[in-house]
Amino acid sequence: MTAMPQTAAATHAPDCHPLAGRAMSGADVVVQVLVDEGVDVLFGYSGGAILPVYDAVFRYNARHRGADGREPMPLVVPANEQGAGFMASGYARASGKVGVAIVTSGPGATNTVTPVRDAMADSVPLVVICGQVPTSALGSDAFQEAPVSNIMGACAKHVFLVTEAEQLEATLRTAFEIARSGRPGPVVVDIPKNVQNAELRFDGTSRLPIPGYRARLRAVENARLGDDDCASFFAALAQAERPLIYAGGGVIAAGAAPALAAFVDAFGLPVTTTLMGLGGIDTTHPLALHMLGMHGTAYANYAVEDCDCLIALGARFDDRVAGAPGKFAPRARFIAQIDIDPAEIGKVKRVDWQHVGPLAAALERLTRYGRAHGIRPMLQDWHAHVAQLKRDHAMNHDRASPLIQPQAVIEAINRVTQGRAIVSTGVGQHQMWAAQYFDFRAPRQWLTSGSMGTMGFGLPAAIGAQFARPDALVIDIDGDGSIRMNLGEMETVTTYGLPLKVVLLNNGGDGMVRQWQKLYFGQRFSASDKSLRRKDFIKAAEADGFAWARRLDDKAALESTIAEFLAFEGPAFLEVVIDPEAGVYPMVGPGASYAQMVTGDFIASRAAVAKATEAAPVDSMF
Amino acid sequence: MKHTLSILLQNEAGALARVAGLFAARHVNIDTLTVAPTHEPAMSHLTVVIHGSDATLEQIVRQTGKLVDVISVRSLGLLCDAASLAGEAAYASSRDPADDRVAV
Repeated sequence: MTAMPQTAAATHAPDCHPLAGRAMSGADVVVQVLVDEGVDVLFGYSGGAILPVYDAVFRYNARHRGADGREPMPLVVPANEQGAGFMASGYARASGKVGVAIVTSGPGATNTVTPVRDAMADSVPLVVICGQVPTSALGSDAFQEAPVSNIMGACAKHVFLVTEAEQLEATLRTAFEIARSGRPGPVVVDIPKNVQNAELRFDGTSRLPIPGYRARLRAVENARLGDDDCASFFAALAQAERPLIYAGGGVIAAGAAPALAAFVDAFGLPVTTTLMGLGGIDTTHPLALHMLGMHGTAYANYAVEDCDCLIALGARFDDRVAGAPGKFAPRARFIAQIDIDPAEIGKVKRVDWQHVGPLAAALERLTRYGRAHGIRPMLQDWHAHVAQLKRDHAMNHDRASPLIQPQAVIEAINRVTQGRAIVSTGVGQHQMWAAQYFDFRAPRQWLTSGSMGTMGFGLPAAIGAQFARPDALVIDIDGDGSIRMNLGEMETVTTYGLPLKVVLLNNGGDGMVRQWQKLYFGQRFSASDKSLRRKDFIKAAEADGFAWARRLDDKAALESTIAEFLAFEGPAFLEVVIDPEAGVYPMVGPGASYAQMVTGDFIASRAAVAKATEAAPVDSMF
Repeated sequence: MKHTLSILLQNEAGALARVAGLFAARHVNIDTLTVAPTHEPAMSHLTVVIHGSDATLEQIVRQTGKLVDVISVRSLGLLCDAASLAGEAAYASSRDPADDRVAV
């Protein structure tokens, strides 16, 4: 429920807001609901149709300024509304709280379509408030009018167009409820300017009736595993010799990482995670296999090939994991799936055991049941096999090249940060190298556009994350293609004095596109080569106020430069000129099975290991 | 194979567009769609006929069930199943003659 302002809460009944009955403008109602929902930072760009709300935010901050001069709800202004949306997303991903963006009508709103869709695809809770032309002008092709409800309806978890001013307060409160409940997602609230200016009476508690949604939510939230469910799960597990957990972003969204760790330790189950699930289990855990999928580790993908029991937790068998669903985990005789979203159960792959409900509660229940029944699977052979896979097919790259390898850059940063930094990325090769070579010790350290794959995500997401975690080391690992997409936000970093670290892995082009063109389009590098582009990123960073901005192209200086870069107290920008031919491996081609995985020149494939060991089998099991 | 879906929907701005948009975005073609009032003014009754595999039907029913304005969604089986359709119509509306629905 809504959090009361500390000062007044004690003297009022919990169901009565201290400001209940107070006359307010619609804009002031918006700000008060934001305060009640615990919002401590806003991201947004002003404009005509949202001016009343911006004025209310200004007045609120002026009235409640702290003794140290700090505003209770600072409004962070990006270069472009897309930046605001991704900042809110970075904030939400790093904190688990709802991120809030406030933009104007028309272009302000349409510029946030990409972050809204991105948040929907990755299940990130956002509330995006858009100004709209007055209700009297709706549908008249007015200045800066866009059909936000139509556009966003197709992209968001839900969209509200507030046409009745009296509904504003309940609508906004309900928007937060929808954004954070069930499978989280973005909710857009489109508020015509006359509604912002309406004279209203604040009630402090109202919500919209959404009977269908709440009934379904209640059913899912209250769903618990019964003894029979637990018994059938463990009966199947007892039959398995090679069980594997496949954990997705749902582990992080559900706050189920501690429950997962306890479950893993109780029964000795190896775990691989999706791109979105990185950090759901400590990647340095002996039973952790890092990431699976198209660019997953070879040892994780081979473990998927070998497993005879697969337990999918908050994961949805998407096409970057199960490009060929029929050939995914081909030896798994039993597949279990737990998810909060009933529509994901069996959507891609038929499952033998399922549970729709809160993940943490389900894992805790299974762990309790298993412990109470003395279940301790005998998995020594499987553990030995998994350890052998990790040794035989370890991640590796070209260490002899005179050129700087991008993987070596990530490794060098990771040696300093020890898996404790918050890392954001753009999309492409650099994103995959970061996913593969960083350690992630805890949830919410890895911020990446997983499903939508939005280039330009990294820099604004890092900004939002730094506001969520002011004391954390936040690093944006970016590419020259991706960073160009939202390069305007470089100035936002310095404007707000954020101690962000921006690493640009520059390979003079769109590397992932080049990689596909190399493999599938006869090396015709249509529109992906940018080696003739003339931007001097260092000058650009300096122009935007970065006091520390350097280009690194000498391999020998890698360690010392990175140490200096990370130790710098303020915003710092490091461009690393990397080997433009470096590829992302392993790679499971689109639609291919894991058995067809290409491991490249530096990671041993199964065929190579078999050859090297001649006739002697790597493991007695196979 | 044809399938008939019965959807109870809150009367909110853009609610019908969201249902229709969901079907379009998920590549499910709507053969027929009727919208009727119910005894509850805040609620409309949609009858949607689609064609597709059972898997398509199951997935679109589940996805429709995620829309915030949707109160309930049920698959009624074949279009020619007039008895269930009539029952559904009677349940959703006290004044619409069931014959109208079957004629759709």
